Amino acid sequence: MPLSKKINNSTLSLIKGDLTDLDIEAFVFYAESHLKLGAGFGNAITMRGGVEIKKELDTHEPIEVSEAIITGAGLLKANYIIHANGPKYSEENTESKYEATLKNSLKCAEEKGIKKIAYPPMGTGFYAIPPPYCAQTMVKIFSDYLEGETTIEEITICAMDTREYEPFKPHFTD
Amino acid sequence: MSRVRSQKAELVIERLGKKLNRQIVGSLVACVHCGMCTDACHYVLANPDDPSYAPAAKADKLRKLFKRHYDWTGRVIPWWVGAKSIFTDEELEDLKDTVFGKCTNCRRCSINCPMGVDFATYNRMTRGLLVSVGIMPEGVAVVSKDQWEIGNQMGVLTEDYLDTLEWMGEEMQEELDDETAIIPIDKEDADIVYTINPREVKYDPRTISDAGKIFHVAGANWTMPSEGWDMTNFGLFSGDDALGGSVAARVYDKLQEIRGKKLVISECGHGYRSTRCEGPNWAGMDIGFEMESSVITMLNFIKEGKIQVDKTRNTTPVTFHDSCNNARSCGLFEEPRELLKLVVTDFTEMYPNRAENYCCTGGGGAMSMSEYTPQRLKSGIVKANQLKDTGAKIVVTSCHNCVDGLNDVIKHYKLGMEVTQLVNLVANALVIPEKKVVPVVEVAEAVVEEAIAEEAVEAEEIKKELVLTGRKILIVDDEPDIRTFFGAVLEDNGAIILEAGDGDQAIEIANSEKPDLITLDLSMPGKDGGKVFEALRSNPETERLKICIITGRPELRKLIYDQELSKPEGYLDKPVDEDTLVLNVRKILELS
Repeated sequence: MPLSKKINNSTLSLIKGDLTDLDIEAFVFYAESHLKLGAGFGNAITMRGGVEIKKELDTHEPIEVSEAIITGAGLLKANYIIHANGPKYSEENTESKYEATLKNSLKCAEEKGIKKIAYPPMGTGFYAIPPPYCAQTMVKIFSDYLEGETTIEEITICAMDTREYEPFKPHFTD
Repeated sequence: MSRVRSQKAELVIERLGKKLNRQIVGSLVACVHCGMCTDACHYVLANPDDPSYAPAAKADKLRKLFKRHYDWTGRVIPWWVGAKSIFTDEELEDLKDTVFGKCTNCRRCSINCPMGVDFATYNRMTRGLLVSVGIMPEGVAVVSKDQWEIGNQMGVLTEDYLDTLEWMGEEMQEELDDETAIIPIDKEDADIVYTINPREVKYDPRTISDAGKIFHVAGANWTMPSEGWDMTNFGLFSGDDALGGSVAARVYDKLQEIRGKKLVISECGHGYRSTRCEGPNWAGMDIGFEMESSVITMLNFIKEGKIQVDKTRNTTPVTFHDSCNNARSCGLFEEPRELLKLVVTDFTEMYPNRAENYCCTGGGGAMSMSEYTPQRLKSGIVKANQLKDTGAKIVVTSCHNCVDGLNDVIKHYKLGMEVTQLVNLVANALVIPEKKVVPVVEVAEAVVEEAIAEEAVEAEEIKKELVLTGRKILIVDDEPDIRTFFGAVLEDNGAIILEAGDGDQAIEIANSEKPDLITLDLSMPGKDGGKVFEALRSNPETERLKICIITGRPELRKLIYDQELSKPEGYLDKPVDEDTLVLNVRKILELS
């Protein structure tokens, strides 16, 4: 049973699931500057989505930290993938870069007219963003964004396991 | 003038302070450089003229940092105690090459140190410090990210895992001629929850059906989980405790969700140590259920009379290789021998053995780092000599990393041995209870038996006819003998065979024929397998063709896996036997 809360006319939800297998308009991929899909979610995107996504990415120049771009999603259930280049391994100014990454990914979705978008707990595993900080920041940035004028109707945070899910829970139940 | 320190170096120094506990500090201060560890290390034995491999020398690379920043002697008499700081990312890269490339963390030096210095523990800790700032071999990054984000270290998708289990269940039903022989998924309140290594799904599914047969014949109330099924844990290898805790918790959480009573861990040293011994600490969880190796489960089945075995079915001379993680770190060395002696007729001990055994070179993950393969294989001379001295034809081990490590050593040193696991030997020796048939009259029974036998032969023939019927397979290998062997085996199973003796020919035939599968050798004169793979994957006409790499040169894996292309659908080490070839080809064709 997903946890959710209404913010203005939009919904912010928390689920446990498999991000790249979600039947949703778009999801966000925590990318690197070179925009190669690589392992992890990138591997799942390649295997489930086919080669079209990589080909589209090959046409893009590398992006700076905090920037985001959008591509199609090939054979995946989603229609689009937003590739957001977040900060990694406690690099300098992580917090400001992290917030900018979230905002830019939302802006990218908004510009494309996307109404329903899913996020993983951004960067909490391999890239070592601490889960409590991630939960607090994502919920705050999303809540603030949905409080304003937006065409985004639904943001879903898709946690993979208990470690990722639990830090978000109080933000939905308190 | 003080030197400027990079941000990563700053973080490593700061985080080192947080990692220091009594055990680590004891190890860092106790070394007297007596040299006892050098004789214990297979890297040193294989490189006697290179002092940089000595465990004490490797340890000094971290020790100098500890002395400089966290020990009073380093502040007062730094020149005397060798205290030195670290400033640049290049120095961190150099440290990476030592802790990942010159040590498998096998812990043999640790148990041979008279001062109790556990070098392997703080070598792992140093790996973890480097990983935390993003400095790690590319292969370690790939495996870690797969395990973080897909949930297993080989990036096996849930649908592929479940398909493989279903397929192996069907194989079990056929082999046992028993419709009730299935692999139950997420069955609640099971006595046994069986977890495996993703390598079994990807490259060695026979171990799953072998285990399933044993559980079924034993009448066990068992299940396999749909998630949290990977009991390996790359956090053990990479030193990343957060990954370690996350992976272990996924396994424990799933077992608790389905109310399993006992977690059984398939044969894997790395998995056994990380899930049973280290995982609860990393995950910070109190575990209210039992955990055991499948070796013990199988042994108990025999002791309790739940299964019968006939050791005369395994008569080839065997020896046993103790996994470092199982034996040295977890004390699991008598049970596998006890089980082995029950299922084989000709067992020879390897020397040294048990906790003193030498590492297979696999190190619970070292094969993911192709840049260190040459030095890893060079260090394998120690293992090769041990294996050769046994005179055995088969080496048995209870660890999937050791299977791959031993296969690499056997091929590199041309030992001509096979590697297998206890589960395969137990399944082969398993006495399948005959189905109960109520005899009407003896004559009628004989007629029925004859008819059943004939039907079985026919069914077997039809099955053989069908498994690869109509499948077009291109065999790419520069050795005519290999092409002939693979071709004959696959053709016997119904496949249509195409052959290419070099890379150019392979690309040409792939383009014109669009085969269902290509078996691709890596080492070929002219255009090697890596270039063929790249050409096929980069061409829209051939990019989705299924490819199975079949190589006898493990050091060439990087030709494939270092490329930014979608991975091959299969990988096999030469030599390949008939069953393995057909099983893997079927798996790729039917499931990929």
